[in-house]
Amino acid sequence: MNSLDARIDELLVQAPYSYRPEEQASSMLELLRERLLQAAAASATYSNYLSHWPIPVSHARSVAELPYLPVSVFKQSPPLALIPAEQFQRVLLSSATTGQQPSRIALDSLTAKRMTKGVVSILRDFIGPERRPYLVVDEPATNAAGGELAARGAAIRGLSPFASATTYCLKRNSAGELSIDEDALAAFASRHRNDAVLIYGFTTMLWTQLVRQLAQKRICLGLSRAHVLHSGGWKKLIAEAVTREEFNLKTAEVVGCASSGVIDFYGMVENLGIIYPDCSEGNKHVPATGEVIVRNALTLKPVKTGEVGLVQVCSVLPSSFPGHVLLTEDTAQVMASHGCRCGRSGLAFRFAGRVAKAEARGCGNVEARRMEQFAEAS
Amino acid sequence: LSSRLVQVNRVERPEQITEASARLRSELHSRAVSTSHLLDIFQKWSKGILESEARHVPGAVFLSLWLRRNTLEPLLTRELGQLDGTWGTEEKAQFQSFPIGVVGHWPAGNVEVLPFLSLTCSLLGGNAGLVRVPSGLVEITQALAKPLETADPEGIVASRTELLTFPHTELPLQNAMAGSVDGAVIWGGQEAVLAVRSLPFPHWARIQVFGPRISIAMMDRHSWSDEEARKKWCTRLARDVWQFEQQACSSPQVLFAEHGEPTDVPRLCEDLAEAFAEENRIHARASIEPYLTSRIAQARATCLLEDARNRAWFPETPDWTLLLQHRSEIPLPTQGKTLTVIPVPDLADAVALLDGNVQTLGLAMGDPSRERLVAERAARLGVDRIVRMGTMHVFDSPWDGTELIRPLTRRVRYSPTANF
Repeated sequence: MNSLDARIDELLVQAPYSYRPEEQASSMLELLRERLLQAAAASATYSNYLSHWPIPVSHARSVAELPYLPVSVFKQSPPLALIPAEQFQRVLLSSATTGQQPSRIALDSLTAKRMTKGVVSILRDFIGPERRPYLVVDEPATNAAGGELAARGAAIRGLSPFASATTYCLKRNSAGELSIDEDALAAFASRHRNDAVLIYGFTTMLWTQLVRQLAQKRICLGLSRAHVLHSGGWKKLIAEAVTREEFNLKTAEVVGCASSGVIDFYGMVENLGIIYPDCSEGNKHVPATGEVIVRNALTLKPVKTGEVGLVQVCSVLPSSFPGHVLLTEDTAQVMASHGCRCGRSGLAFRFAGRVAKAEARGCGNVEARRMEQFAEAS
Repeated sequence: LSSRLVQVNRVERPEQITEASARLRSELHSRAVSTSHLLDIFQKWSKGILESEARHVPGAVFLSLWLRRNTLEPLLTRELGQLDGTWGTEEKAQFQSFPIGVVGHWPAGNVEVLPFLSLTCSLLGGNAGLVRVPSGLVEITQALAKPLETADPEGIVASRTELLTFPHTELPLQNAMAGSVDGAVIWGGQEAVLAVRSLPFPHWARIQVFGPRISIAMMDRHSWSDEEARKKWCTRLARDVWQFEQQACSSPQVLFAEHGEPTDVPRLCEDLAEAFAEENRIHARASIEPYLTSRIAQARATCLLEDARNRAWFPETPDWTLLLQHRSEIPLPTQGKTLTVIPVPDLADAVALLDGNVQTLGLAMGDPSRERLVAERAARLGVDRIVRMGTMHVFDSPWDGTELIRPLTRRVRYSPTANF
């Protein structure tokens, strides 16, 4: 194992948020720089990209100066990878909205292993290290074996290291619609009433398929020691005018746990091995295996505390695809640059939304017989 | 809504629109305004724009130049034959142009001066104008209208104009506007144009559509073989790219560069990059939508990851981008001052790619006889304007292959009974 690999593996076993920001900044710059050069050696086109960056990789003085790839470059098939196709162990797919291409992320066995370790390391900091009964608010088919795994399946699988036994509480009825598997849910609730349990569902599925249904029937599962994790975006819930507070309270009510046990986390398949759970202050944090930079859309410089900008995520974990420094299509507000009241180090931020898509518009034709500004020089 | 001032009014009920249209129609029927008088007002307005705060509005210089008598008078004469209506006689019949009535305008939101450019075309045809001002242009339109208070103390323009604003998603208001006009001028992207065209216009309404289209630049090998000439062309092209944030139909999105040796093209790109940097220094961008920043980053990465032979020039900011791509089709536009340069061994290969989606072809040609052939071929393939590079946004009527004012008039035939 070379020294880069050893350093990455070391990061995966240490506490994810207890680093010193200055040390973290310089170590992250070195690790990412090495990662980028390694990726360039593996791919002629990626090397072409790096060689055109206005600041050469070797001259970068901070992570913010390193070349980033827009996350949209992974929306292609075959996937943008640093390894030959025969070494793909699995391809992860992002959750794409209707009519859009999903991102495709090629994993080799080392990257897949680090992805799991990365997520486990982060979640331990939020819910503790123990394995516990795991209730998945989805159907078993979502996590079926196969070469391609969609975002929901990847999230379900990513939490399995915390599971002592897994129960799925949704099933398809004869019309092909999802509904609660009442027998499975009732059995899980009665068996684990006094146990620490983990519940996971995509945010919209958790709300529409479980919480809303149980709330209408005034059912409480009585799982007072549950942690409820959810991810996948609020777009549909915003359309239904469901606030975060309402979501947390109602979910806690039907599960029977404290609302502080309901944790939203942000993750994207491209930012492999890193997720961003909300802390007790409602902020998101950067683990030792990565970095987040919020950039001003006009200057692309990092924004100041309080400002909103485009989110760049970094991860030292992948070796099978060039997902080390990525400019996302999400926006976030920087809440604090150095630490949070929850005790975690580094940047604290909150997602603000996704950049609006816009049609490349046409006509703004202008007629003029002469143009003062331009005619003289032409 | 009626007022002596031209001002943007927010509307919430369909009746407000139908009432505004009725007022305009009644004004049209009650008195005619001489074109010459209108040109006097426009001339003063043109001056007023440059002397007021409105001069800072992007495109204000264009609007001001457009409004000058020496711009409009020749154009009117060319399109209508004369300034003010009198019956022209041919054998036993007489002919004269009359306005079509109340013309609705749906300008795109990406060019600040478009509401007034569109409106003035219909006013010059003797019509009244009902303009839906996009929400992002309300203050700017208001600023551009301000100098009219001095230029038009009688309120002639105000009497024939209603500037309205309402969300484009308000279908009852859109329907009311469409239903109360005799003609329409629609600008914008495909989505906007299709949405407006599907509104319930009266069956007699005459509809003019501008957009969406793209524009292309081409250079033959002789035009840029000399260093001095090459640098001049680069400056001209940079200016064409800079105008309107490269969002106009007439903005060049791609440059086809005919080369002697393929290795020459990077040299051209380096001069272009220098010209872009200089243009950016003079006309720096003040703001940008995050989606455009994303799209620019995507264009840069896609180009360089697609083919290791591709090259690019860009600063750390999203200010401008030059992409040298080896491909044989016209790429989708990125806009935001992103120009794709495609090297071709023979310009004929590039000309063959043109179709009706291309509005303007900006040319830099060192060989005049070949230029003629390129122009004729491009016109045959659907291009409406073939101009010198550096003047891609400067054009006379016809516009998008259509005259500007005549389509907003009716040619009336009168056969006096005494002649038979």
